[in-house]
Amino acid sequence: MTAYLGSRALYTLLTFFVVVTVVFALLRAAPGGPFDGERRLPPEIEANLQAAYGLDQPLTTQYLRYWGNLLTGDLGPSFKQKDFTVGELIAAGLPISLGLGLSALVLALMLGMGIGITAGLRPGSNLDQGLMAVTNLNLALPTIIAAPLMVLIFSVGLAWFPAGGSGSARHFVLPAVALALPYVAAIARLMRGSIASARLEPHVRTARAKGLSEARVVWRHMLPIAATPLISFLGPAAAGLLTGSVVVEQIFDLPGIGRYFVQGALNRDYTLVMGVVIVYAGAILTFNLLVDLAYGALDPRMRLRS
Amino acid sequence: MRFHYLLALLLTVTMPPHAHAAAQLHIGNTGEPQTLDPHRYNLRLEETLLNDLFMGLTTFSARGEIVPGAAQSWDTSDDGLTWQFYLRPDLAWSDGAPLTAHDFVYAYRRLQAPETAASLAYFMYMLKNAAAINRGEMPVTELGVSAVDDHTLVLTLERPYPYLLERLLYPTAYPVPKHVIERHGDAWVKPANWVSNGAYTLTEWQPQAHVEFRVNPHFVSEPAIDTVRYHAVATEQSAYNRYRSGELHAISAFPIGELDKVRAGTPDALRLSGLLSMMYLVFNTGHRPLDDVRVREALALAIDQRVLTDKVLRSGYTPAFSFTPTLLDAYEGVPQPHTMTPMPERLTKARALLQAAGINADNPLELTLRHVTGSEQKKVNLAITGMWRRIGVRTELHQSELRNHFGDLRQGDFEVAWAGWVGENNAEHYLGLLQSETGDVNYGRFSSAEYDALMAEAQRTADANARNALLQEAEAVAASLYPVVPLYSTAVRRLVHPDLQGWHDNPRDVHQVRYLSWPDPPQDP
Repeated sequence: MTAYLGSRALYTLLTFFVVVTVVFALLRAAPGGPFDGERRLPPEIEANLQAAYGLDQPLTTQYLRYWGNLLTGDLGPSFKQKDFTVGELIAAGLPISLGLGLSALVLALMLGMGIGITAGLRPGSNLDQGLMAVTNLNLALPTIIAAPLMVLIFSVGLAWFPAGGSGSARHFVLPAVALALPYVAAIARLMRGSIASARLEPHVRTARAKGLSEARVVWRHMLPIAATPLISFLGPAAAGLLTGSVVVEQIFDLPGIGRYFVQGALNRDYTLVMGVVIVYAGAILTFNLLVDLAYGALDPRMRLRS
Repeated sequence: MRFHYLLALLLTVTMPPHAHAAAQLHIGNTGEPQTLDPHRYNLRLEETLLNDLFMGLTTFSARGEIVPGAAQSWDTSDDGLTWQFYLRPDLAWSDGAPLTAHDFVYAYRRLQAPETAASLAYFMYMLKNAAAINRGEMPVTELGVSAVDDHTLVLTLERPYPYLLERLLYPTAYPVPKHVIERHGDAWVKPANWVSNGAYTLTEWQPQAHVEFRVNPHFVSEPAIDTVRYHAVATEQSAYNRYRSGELHAISAFPIGELDKVRAGTPDALRLSGLLSMMYLVFNTGHRPLDDVRVREALALAIDQRVLTDKVLRSGYTPAFSFTPTLLDAYEGVPQPHTMTPMPERLTKARALLQAAGINADNPLELTLRHVTGSEQKKVNLAITGMWRRIGVRTELHQSELRNHFGDLRQGDFEVAWAGWVGENNAEHYLGLLQSETGDVNYGRFSSAEYDALMAEAQRTADANARNALLQEAEAVAASLYPVVPLYSTAVRRLVHPDLQGWHDNPRDVHQVRYLSWPDPPQDP
């Protein structure tokens, strides 16, 4: 188990190193620079700016210095948001992205499992077909269409929720629903399939024969085996919810790190993009590592193989 | 209900409570400010904020005119090189510290110090030795600014600059609090350390969400609005949504496709006003065959500006026939010579000009027209390719992101390109773009000895009327040589809550919160 853990951790660190290096190189290769603004800069002013941010140094020096700072936890100053460091910006934006991602995940799980279990218990019934039709429609409707529709109906039309911003919990309802919808559909389909096959398992029939209540049969005897595929889905899904928030944050004016990512890339804000990439990469790698470890814990064969 | 409870539990831990007070104003700004240090700013959306936070020697009236600000009066020497400003005696910083002429001296030197790395330091290059100081060739103490006493400031210029009072409106000429900067360094711009001399002070800054300003108790007058929040709105669509749902009281733009609907539905909220600006096509005069004035004239003849504004864009823009915008005060632009000629005649002449320049069916003219990404630019430039097709010119469109577009233009990497300039209220700010000494923002590298000589003479002339006459002569020379084709001046389409008082449309599109008031504030949505 220790060897398995060690190899997964090593692999994770290596991936992280490659991600940082590739993004660093890609950013410098992109045309334009962080100081191109609405107004032009005379050469002496451009030189002053380059010197102030160390961009007049050779690329290798910049790269090594970046790693040096990164290892001490310093993500550097933002080149564009001059009044903030990257660390400050991420500290301000990450709770919003995490809050959004987490509420969407909880929502997707509750709704998706509810629908999946309901449909899976009566496969082929009208209810099942109706629910699956709705989730299919849901899968087919991308967030960039669903989210503006929700704003139009629930903010502009009914005025139930704000159309944008982040001042209160109410501001997060529509974005969380918009972000969760595709995952609701995916989880529902996954659950329906595994519940439908779990209900045919011999031990489930035995449990029913013992006269246990339907709820107890579902919770105690069907869910544990039906949930295994769900767990392997959750790793990528959690990462997807975090990165998927880029679009939702843009539509709902939410000040999360997804917007920094878009703005930073457009502005050639090298340090800010690097910082957000590091957070995303860190999150995705951690989720994958956790899933790998969960596999190891759930399935003894994984441990033996390593 | 359970779902709400769960969300609240998840989120309230990280979110500040949403406070709404009656005297608050919520404005949608076009994006996130990159800095609130007036010497390091670069964007128009930052100017909007800095105008509320600081006050320079001159300031804007509610209608966007230049009026006395920190200075109550001023004198100019006969040669136009020395300007003496008399400050108001009651000036103070928002922490109560007195504000004197020495603060302006400190600020103007800081702007030019190379280590400040001020991207717009050149806005104040008319000050004596400013450019040399910024290049690091002279100490900041050599700058043409001095304090005679606490209330008298003297500016010494390199050459006469009659538009100085206008240039002083920009944040680059605002004072900054020396006592705070020396104590906190770069962190002086944090809300906790913030000190400024405008009507408002910075009390909160949530990146990508909003900045909040509260009234400055030491300001020279008492504004009616107590607190204002400028929200960084990601898109025109979300600005429009948030205005309609009542979350924002004023927004700086809404999607162009909604214009007819807004006109019909909420005409009293619509503020469509011309902006002092010039959108134009620029020819790379170093690129064959565009070095031939006949080819440039032919291409200009085929363009119908009225079709662009009235048929293609339909967004309240004004067609432009001279390179200087019609909204300029005290200056009448010189239109390009063909302006009054009817279109069929123009097209005949254009074909003849191309023929004379050696362009025909066997040797057709093929051009690449570059423009900035965006549906508006796409439509305009597509229409232009159609207009040129009528004189047998084949045009390919090439679009790129704003930054890359203007970067390539500055390097002369284009044949024909769409360009835009949002300038000051003086002709020179536009005509200067065509001077050969201007360098890279003279994108087309237009060079005419006659034009340069007239411009140089104008720039040596201190008398405003004589200067304008010379500028008109210069503009006439440029108009006949077709380095550019003026297309249109844009308009700003805002939505402003009809109950908000004191909002006056003006060609600079400046609206300081200190002039606004709510007789009957709307309730929280």
